[in-house]
Amino acid sequence: MKKFLHESWLVVLMGGAFAALLATTQSATIDRIRENERQDLDTAIAEVVPDLGAGRPPEKLRVAEHDVYRCRDARGMLVGWVVDASGVGFIDKIRLVVGLSPDGRTITGVKVIGHLETPGLGNKIETKGDEHFYPLQYAGKSTQRAMELVKRPAGEPHEIQAITGATYSSQYVMDIVNAVIARVVPELPAEKG
Amino acid sequence: MAEEMSHFQQFKSGIVENNPVLVQLLGMCPTLAITNSLENALVMGAAATFVVVMSNLITSLLRNLIQPHVRILIFTLTIATFVTIADMTLKAHLYQVSKQLGAFVPLIIVNCMIICRAEVVALKSGVGRSLADAFGIGIGFTLALSILGVIREILGSGSLTLPGGMKLLELPPGFDPHAWIIMILPPGAFLTLGVVVGVVNYLRQRKPKEVPA
Repeated sequence: MKKFLHESWLVVLMGGAFAALLATTQSATIDRIRENERQDLDTAIAEVVPDLGAGRPPEKLRVAEHDVYRCRDARGMLVGWVVDASGVGFIDKIRLVVGLSPDGRTITGVKVIGHLETPGLGNKIETKGDEHFYPLQYAGKSTQRAMELVKRPAGEPHEIQAITGATYSSQYVMDIVNAVIARVVPELPAEKG
Repeated sequence: MAEEMSHFQQFKSGIVENNPVLVQLLGMCPTLAITNSLENALVMGAAATFVVVMSNLITSLLRNLIQPHVRILIFTLTIATFVTIADMTLKAHLYQVSKQLGAFVPLIIVNCMIICRAEVVALKSGVGRSLADAFGIGIGFTLALSILGVIREILGSGSLTLPGGMKLLELPPGFDPHAWIIMILPPGAFLTLGVVVGVVNYLRQRKPKEVPA
């Protein structure tokens, strides 16, 4: 026992000291990290619900195992829904938000908020002004029919053009959006007026 | 070490003669994975510098108390703690970059460059020398990553952006970055590293050797 203590006291002591150090750092940064994540989500929500303006803070619901945000404008009118969804990606999970019209029949926007897709190719699933056409295609699509990926300029209303060199990334994003259409949209609570 | 180096020489050695990436070829995982832009390279370099400085400092302070057979345990404990602190700090203050670096910040824990400095220098030297060494190695690492980052970002994206979003350079529109897309993909990392290490070796061999071995 004595030998054991003689050899290990430093490790035990350092373990304790470092744990205290980590706890301090954690409590000093956690609020800010949460705030960053919340801001990221808020920016994304405002982007996919163009009518939100300076509305009320979105109300969080749980629909079909997804976080769903009910968005109202300043006067309390329903202006849209936002579904927070994630799914498999090329390298790591892709997380995105889908904006829906108040009646849930139209997509108002899609924005990827978390991914590790290949820089220069797959990362074009992310919105970047008007530079990346891919995510912009979703605005205005109907939720009555699953979308299909094509490798040419989209012709039919339900078609989405893939990113050249990143067909898989394009497909994965579309799969997540299609899953939202199929599983979450029919479950949205009915809303009067 | 046949002859004791001065603290400044120890510092300089990490940047030039013993550059961890370009000469010792240590820390290849972040070198290959995150040097597709200058911003990533600088942030990764800063995080690794912070960790190697803290690890060298603690190891050097405790060097007379550390039992030889638990030393690796102590190194790992120290490094893991400070990597976690660096990771939390990045998430709090440089959220977008930390999202891009993803798992590579936590992976600094297994960067053998850092444990190597603890073993080779900090365990046997005073605090001053250990810190000089850590800063040298950290800056050398950052410099090497930045060289790769600059080359790959210019060729692969056709522009160079500083952290904070300032465009430093934009290639003329006649240059098509799509043709060079390979530079920001993994093969581009290997190609660039190979060329840079080749140039460094060539320059090192051209130096006249003072004492024939």
